Amino acid sequence: MSAGAVTEGRSAVRLGRLDTLRHRPLLVGLGALVALAMAIVAGVAFGNIAVPIGDTIGILAQHLGWPVATSWPASAETIVFDLRLPRVMTAAVVGAGLAVAGTTFQGLLRNPLADPYVLGTASGAALGAAIAVLIPVSVAWLGFGLVHLLAFSGALIAVAVVWRLARTTSLSSLTALLLTGYAVGSLLAAGLSVAMYASGAQLRQIVFYLLGGFSGASWPQLVAAAPLVVVGSVLLLLRARSLNALLLGEETAANLGLNVRRERAILLCLAALVTAAAVAVSGLIGFVGLIVPHVVRLVVGPNARLVLPLSALVGAAFLTFADLVARIPGELPVGVVTAIVGAPFFLIILRRARAGYEV
Amino acid sequence: MAGLLLAACAPGATPSQSPQIQPTTGAGASAAAAFPVTLIDDEGTAVTIKAQPQRIASLSPANTETVFALGAGDRLVGGSDYDDYPAEAAALPDLVTFNGVVMEQLVAAAPDLVLAAGNGFNPPADIARIRELGIPVVVLYPEDVPGVLRDIELIGQAVGKGEAAEAMTSAMGERIDAISAATAAVPQPRTFYELGAEPELYGPSDDSFVADMVTLAGGEPITTGSTTAASLSLERLVTEDPEVIVLGDANYGTTAAQVAARPGWNVMTAVKSGAIRPVDDKIVTRPGPRLADGLAALTLAIHPDFVLPSEAP
Repeated sequence: MSAGAVTEGRSAVRLGRLDTLRHRPLLVGLGALVALAMAIVAGVAFGNIAVPIGDTIGILAQHLGWPVATSWPASAETIVFDLRLPRVMTAAVVGAGLAVAGTTFQGLLRNPLADPYVLGTASGAALGAAIAVLIPVSVAWLGFGLVHLLAFSGALIAVAVVWRLARTTSLSSLTALLLTGYAVGSLLAAGLSVAMYASGAQLRQIVFYLLGGFSGASWPQLVAAAPLVVVGSVLLLLRARSLNALLLGEETAANLGLNVRRERAILLCLAALVTAAAVAVSGLIGFVGLIVPHVVRLVVGPNARLVLPLSALVGAAFLTFADLVARIPGELPVGVVTAIVGAPFFLIILRRARAGYEV
Repeated sequence: MAGLLLAACAPGATPSQSPQIQPTTGAGASAAAAFPVTLIDDEGTAVTIKAQPQRIASLSPANTETVFALGAGDRLVGGSDYDDYPAEAAALPDLVTFNGVVMEQLVAAAPDLVLAAGNGFNPPADIARIRELGIPVVVLYPEDVPGVLRDIELIGQAVGKGEAAEAMTSAMGERIDAISAATAAVPQPRTFYELGAEPELYGPSDDSFVADMVTLAGGEPITTGSTTAASLSLERLVTEDPEVIVLGDANYGTTAAQVAARPGWNVMTAVKSGAIRPVDDKIVTRPGPRLADGLAALTLAIHPDFVLPSEAP
């Protein structure tokens, strides 16, 4: 498979679909925005406990500074303002971050199976969290425990190690990155298994973390993690041109005047940062970062300048909605919901896909 | 060989394990009546309870049982999914599921005191979250039999039933002491308390609560050989050669016939002699007010012909 053939195929598809695709991004963008707004409203209005909708509106209005007379129990205010609102916002931020990071890794590695966790991030974060559970020290900083801090560091360290090791092989750099990521990930996963085996009664905590979810979301956590995710994602959006160039292959990108090595390092670093911050607040939530970019690409085509922002919106709406579904029956792991809801939907989109779809 | 081993071990082990009834606070009874009260919970956190709690949330079956046994069950506004005793406990709203605390349920119950369980039973992140919301949380995590009695007194002080708690613990302590003193005088069979057999063989770890209970019940506990490991190999069990196997997993469907039919188990003394007996795991391992009943049941599982001192008139 030569880079040239891929490029030709893709440009032919792009030209052929240009007309039909022209208005789609706008429609998808508007649709995703409406869906996100609805998911946020529903996420605050509904939950495990029924709070009358009038009370919900009153509580939110009061916090926005409107003089509304308090006519609700204190527990309703805590549920709406301290539990649901930060939770919904965290889900939206994490969903957007994972989708943007997934788009970036798929484009960067030119691999449709890439997701935000591909280069050892997941195993690094999981091992960090497991070590934190085993250390009998309690640290609390901005609502973060040792688990969050070590998960964040673990994810970043894992990617850094993969990047460093991959540079020293003589393989093509993408192959080297993917294989190194796989090997380091496996090694870290083995470490995780050892930690889980040694954890005894603490095993439940590690499993909770691995399942992922937003039950622990709080304002301080959101305030600490959201800037990292949002700023990282925005910086990635601004580099969509580089990602487009890299999609054409290293040679073409270099011929277009791109400093391939440098751009790749920057994109990888930003995507890893976004992933690590998302993973630190939410644990490991699969599927969002893998599927959302594909869904968006299948609808609007491969242009990263469209795919990145639209993925962010769709990812945010999807994860907010999935979290709502997860918490109505009690507390289901949100990863279960993303897969149950997302997989059939993705299969439907995939069946309708035209020939010639490539990352 | 076995007799020699037992003679060497039994007298030394039993007295040191037996709980001494000691007043934890000199002024326990009077302090309990007066709120506000500041308690140190099992994680070392100082918790101040301003007034006698009227809406108590219990996040573990043992805490629920204790609150009911102290006569404060009518003040419970929520329990855990696993509550099964007394019968009315099961009807309480479930604030805890397998996946942790359901925070909206807990907040909606509007508790003024939360009794949580430590050592990871309730996720520490959830406990921290409840504290952030300004609700006082007492975390209970008894590590041994005297610890269970201390925790019952701690709950008593927290809910304003200090005197009832002390009466209860002194009765429990006397009964436990009487049983363990009596069992110390008989031969101590090597006893494997099976916590589970799927997918691995699970037994008590060294110095664990269950190992303590087996010692108090007049058995020499066969443990996993470390304080952290929860499972042990069949090789180790065969080498240790249990004389009695107690099925703590009987509640989950394990029977003596199944155990005897397991490949490789027929070489053990307990299997040859048929000394495989079920026990109600919930009263033996649950650190609550029925612990003395649990010890009595475990003693009879290890020594079927034993006449319990408290049952003797």
